[in-house]
Amino acid sequence: MNRPLLTLLAHNEAASIAGVVQELRAQVPHAEVLVVDDGSTDDTGAVALRAGAVVVRHLVNLGVAGGESTALMYAQRHGHDCVIRMDGDGQHDPGCVQDLLNALSAGADLVVGSRFLGEAGFRSTGVRRVGIALLSGLLTRLCGARVTDPTSGFRGFSPRAVELFSTTYPHDYPEPESVLMAYRRGLRVCEVPVRMRPRRFGKSSLTPLRSALYMAKVFTALSLELLRPRSP
Amino acid sequence: MNRSSVIILVLAGLFALQVIIAARRRRTHEWHTILWLMVSVVTAALAIWRPAIDEIASAMGIYYPPSALFLACLSGLLWLVYRLSLEVADQRRAIRRLVQEVAILNARAPSANSVHDDAVPARAS
Repeated sequence: MNRPLLTLLAHNEAASIAGVVQELRAQVPHAEVLVVDDGSTDDTGAVALRAGAVVVRHLVNLGVAGGESTALMYAQRHGHDCVIRMDGDGQHDPGCVQDLLNALSAGADLVVGSRFLGEAGFRSTGVRRVGIALLSGLLTRLCGARVTDPTSGFRGFSPRAVELFSTTYPHDYPEPESVLMAYRRGLRVCEVPVRMRPRRFGKSSLTPLRSALYMAKVFTALSLELLRPRSP
Repeated sequence: MNRSSVIILVLAGLFALQVIIAARRRRTHEWHTILWLMVSVVTAALAIWRPAIDEIASAMGIYYPPSALFLACLSGLLWLVYRLSLEVADQRRAIRRLVQEVAILNARAPSANSVHDDAVPARAS
């Protein structure tokens, strides 16, 4: 992979974004770092720019799916041959980026960084663990392959995946649905173990109520995806 | 013609007038204008030809004629709300695309702080 694009999705992450950008630039010096500032009301964009990232700023908040597809559109227009997407809060360890790039080089189209593979399995909250286990079981059955971390936002995209997901993209929180989409369209999907770090600043936007609504939305989205033709 | 029919006719006429004024100012789409004018026409027609409700209810097997009217109104409104939700989804998609295009066109690169798509330096190359 000659021109990887490392994308950080950020919404009001001014406190953490500079550190993550600098870590990424140090870990993968030949890559371009892009920060998608998803309508932040703080200085996320300016701080990321000073830290050495290219910044695209949404005028209004579009959510995770909007941010990810903006990054894929940017990659397509600027000739990047693969994209790694991470969260801007610093929880995704930049030290694992190379593992995702290696998997893409080995021929995978969609690489999911799994928090539950490897030696130190990630421990989420109880409600989320149940949700992830349910989704994981469902996706494993639907895809016919083991899916251990269907909600991971630490992911890599090959040119084929960039082309697919820059034009056809799920709404809101896209991760589980996009895994199923990739399988059904014949893309090669694989998981690699990644490390998660504790969030240093701010707090997660997912409350228990939002988690429950998220689960309902995802199950509906997965059911609908099964009704669509396999080819885009 | 009794008093209630006259009141309904006047209301239907006023509503049609409002629809035409809004359309003249290009505030509504032509299809919506046609739809709302048809609502006015049907309301006026029912006010003039009152036994129509009884005949329609009888044809539908509905014992209490006003129920047929409520059913027709509710069905029409449900369909309208559904159509509007589809339009909201279309507009949401269009706005999202617009926001993404503006974001990419205004990409800022760290070296020059330029606000120019082509000027974004490809540090990886």
